[in-house]
Amino acid sequence: MTDTARWSEESEALAESVMAKYPQKRSALMPLLYIAMREDGYLSEAGMRRVADLVDLEPAQVSSVASFYTMYKLEPVGKYLVSVCTSISCWLLGGDEVLEAVEASAGVPSGETDESGVISPEHVECIGACGGAPAVQVNYELIEGLTPKKATELVEWLNAAQPATLNGDEMQALFGGERSFDWAINETNDATGPYPAFQPHGTIAALDRS
Amino acid sequence: MSEPAEFVTIKLNGEEIQAPAGEMLIKVAEDNGTYIPRFCWHPRMKPVGLCRMCLVEVETPRGTALVPSCVQPVADGMAVETGSPVALKAQEGVLEFLLVNHPLDCPICDRGGECPLQDQVMSYGPGESRFVEEKRHYEKPVPISDLVLLDRERCILCARCTRFSDEIAGDPLIEFQNRGNGTEIFTFPDEPFASYFSGNTVQICPVGALTAAPYRFRARPWDLLTIESTSPFHTEGSRITVHASQNQVLRFLGVDNGLTNQGWLSDKERFGFEFIGSPDRLKMPMIREDGEFREASWGEAIGLVAARLKEIVERSGPDAVGAIGGAQGTNEDAYALSKFMRVAVGTNNLDAQLDDGLNPDFLVGVGSRARIQDLESAKTILVWSADLKEENPILYLRVRRAARELDATLIVVHPARTGLDDLADHKFGYRPGDGADLLADLAAGTQDYAPALDALQDGPVVVILGRTGLSEDGGLAEAVASFARDLPAASIMPIVRRANTFGALDMGVAPSLLPGRIPARGASGAIIELWGKVPATRGLDTAGMLAGLVGGELEALIMVGADPVRDVPSGSKAADALRAADFSVAIDLFMTDSAAMADVVLPAEGFTEKEGTVTNLEGRVQKVNRIVPGPGQARPDWSVLDGIAESMGSPIGLPSSEAIAKEISTVATAYEGVSWDLLEGEAREGAVVPIGDVRQPLEYIAVNAEQPARTKGLALHLARTLYDDGSAIRHSLSLAKLAPGMTAGLSPDQAVDLGVEAGDLVTVSIGSVTFACPVRIDRALADKTVAIPFNQPGIETLDAAASVLVKAGGSS
Repeated sequence: MTDTARWSEESEALAESVMAKYPQKRSALMPLLYIAMREDGYLSEAGMRRVADLVDLEPAQVSSVASFYTMYKLEPVGKYLVSVCTSISCWLLGGDEVLEAVEASAGVPSGETDESGVISPEHVECIGACGGAPAVQVNYELIEGLTPKKATELVEWLNAAQPATLNGDEMQALFGGERSFDWAINETNDATGPYPAFQPHGTIAALDRS
Repeated sequence: MSEPAEFVTIKLNGEEIQAPAGEMLIKVAEDNGTYIPRFCWHPRMKPVGLCRMCLVEVETPRGTALVPSCVQPVADGMAVETGSPVALKAQEGVLEFLLVNHPLDCPICDRGGECPLQDQVMSYGPGESRFVEEKRHYEKPVPISDLVLLDRERCILCARCTRFSDEIAGDPLIEFQNRGNGTEIFTFPDEPFASYFSGNTVQICPVGALTAAPYRFRARPWDLLTIESTSPFHTEGSRITVHASQNQVLRFLGVDNGLTNQGWLSDKERFGFEFIGSPDRLKMPMIREDGEFREASWGEAIGLVAARLKEIVERSGPDAVGAIGGAQGTNEDAYALSKFMRVAVGTNNLDAQLDDGLNPDFLVGVGSRARIQDLESAKTILVWSADLKEENPILYLRVRRAARELDATLIVVHPARTGLDDLADHKFGYRPGDGADLLADLAAGTQDYAPALDALQDGPVVVILGRTGLSEDGGLAEAVASFARDLPAASIMPIVRRANTFGALDMGVAPSLLPGRIPARGASGAIIELWGKVPATRGLDTAGMLAGLVGGELEALIMVGADPVRDVPSGSKAADALRAADFSVAIDLFMTDSAAMADVVLPAEGFTEKEGTVTNLEGRVQKVNRIVPGPGQARPDWSVLDGIAESMGSPIGLPSSEAIAKEISTVATAYEGVSWDLLEGEAREGAVVPIGDVRQPLEYIAVNAEQPARTKGLALHLARTLYDDGSAIRHSLSLAKLAPGMTAGLSPDQAVDLGVEAGDLVTVSIGSVTFACPVRIDRALADKTVAIPFNQPGIETLDAAASVLVKAGGSS
């Protein structure tokens, strides 16, 4: 195995602690890919090589997993990844129009990034919010019940304010409509980039809060 | 490791049959004469049920169901229909889907004519496709390594290649990438499929997606002549088929001999065929005249050799003549050399090993010899030898299988990193020269060694041993053997270099042994009746002969398929020896560096050009066969030697290769009954000759015995690589470029001490040879050690000394 370039000390330490949770190193592959994305803003070849090195796999095996899942971005994306659901519930309730509005205000079609590198619109399959259709995620923070008008405002706000962190509850209040379900507990993990802020194994958000 | 198999009764197409419980349906059907079509299933790999081609109808409590038979274990009372209308319709449907994106470019595809997809579409396919849309398009073949090209359009995603590279070879450098309709097999960018076993994926690819650069567009399968033979590259004796057209050998394929290679080949033995048709092959005898070679007739050349040898024998006695080589040819060639030296010349100065092997007396006397198949039942395996991946790749695959699939405990002892390290339960490194200390600790089970020693008490144990590097003394391996053979249920597998060294030793190409491995001293029986008196004193080995040439005791040297200048650890000494020789003759395929220094060079026939037998490292005798004529006036070694003997007036009476084989079975007791007919017939997997089974006392060099002089400076670990600058590789164009080149392997601490990093140039001095090369970091290497690969292109010769000097900087 070659010696790959190390990440920041905190990412390396986090990777160690994630790997320690599994009996086999390779089980930590997927959380580690998010750490790699956080390092470079996307999943670079160097990032995949580092992950391969850490979990004792060949890079081809790492990219096999990475290229299977759409949330691992193998190309750089903008500061805000705006994912519009176009699966059946959202589509029936105007998901396509929401997507058009997002694309129009970003000025680029789905799958691309605007010139200033701020907004990357994309259409996605079901994001599990059928009750609150049409739904959108910004950096995987959920907003439900959008209209094309609200979606345009959302993109304009992102462009203008360019917040350092994003919170689903806050964006829901500003741009969302009816929610599918009231979770009662406020969401505390703010997204800091185009990768999820959830804490499956205390990956990203734990770092950002520290 | 198999427990007594329980049998179940199933009904296959209405017929009741017995099958081992747990066996997959597809295998049971095949063993009972019913072929179920398949793409992804391969008998030597784990089933995955990916391609769905093997759907059959099975009766279940909920009615009949279509199940993939490659992942369906048989169960008692199971009723299976493999050819029912429903099963056939399912198979037809699968094929129609597989062909949706298949380009059907069979007329320009290498696989056309021997393609499982083509064949099974003919047998089971729908005939017509309903798919009229545009097919998927990819860039046509992209190289995924120097040897293998990938055509993704043809790929049916059966995962045979990826499973092979992961499960069998341990080089998972190709994998599925992307998903859904975009799924493809690919490497990581800039990480080519540089596996020593990559060619196997081409052979098992059920379509033409993977093709081999050396064979692409060279022939159509139906134009090829085919013959079965035995690989001439590694001591394991892989079974192969040789394919030729218009007197050109075009490819080798692996044959599944379950006892040896199990169908797999290293890329060296698969693509090394190219040397056979090299334009550089010697075609005419050559005689040196005024410093230049000129072509000569066989009559003139043999006359000259005979006259010079006779003159030297008459002047200085038979012991002034020596011969090295014989390990690259057939047993018949080796026997001829053995008989020639003993009968026509009258000396025991002959050696098949090039100062890089083990003492032949040790090989005869060690006893408890292991067979490759013993690895299947071994509970513990100790590998204390050269890096198997580099030197014995087929054995490497078998050890890998034992450790990975059969749960054997693997202990690896080697001074540097080896291919087996990642699988080893225990890996012990040591500084070259300190091996005896490590052996003492292991035998005593001190501290770190206790778990390994415990494992070694858990038999059956197989111990693979040999010289870890060319600068290491063979005595250490003998010490390891004397420790190992007292372990419970231990069997020992000594390995030496070059394909037919064991065969040559069996034929008596050793300073102290006659054919059948009987000691030359005090020999009696059939061999003496036939050969007459043979010299009794122990002859010189290769090192002794080279020293003797320089010292003047030896005056003439015969080299039979041997290139001491490139192949002896101290090549520079070999060059000095050849310069000092009064007369030297080379019988070879190429004008090697050694042949270029000889007085007479005689062109020999090589592999695929002659018939005979070879013997592998476990004593397995197998047949090699002829399919093309040799180039020009080349002749087999035995015929050349017979001619020289005749011309010297002391004929050895060897009229044909088959006659020699008969003579061998008469004089070498162990080879009794091993006839060509047997090997062509019932013993196509080879006949194992009971040689070396007699356990004799070994000189106990082991624990606490005399230490080799410890070097204060840097110790040298000189190791072979799979691809090097040997003459077969050098003349196989596809492989020649794969030699890794010269590097200096250093431990991380040693690199810091020298102030260098990986890739920096250093100047290395070994004995009298100095060269510059880049640094390579080897974490497994002990401090104060330098690992140097042997015989790399661009480096003239080496001079294996115990110590080595390394300085930072240098110019290449």
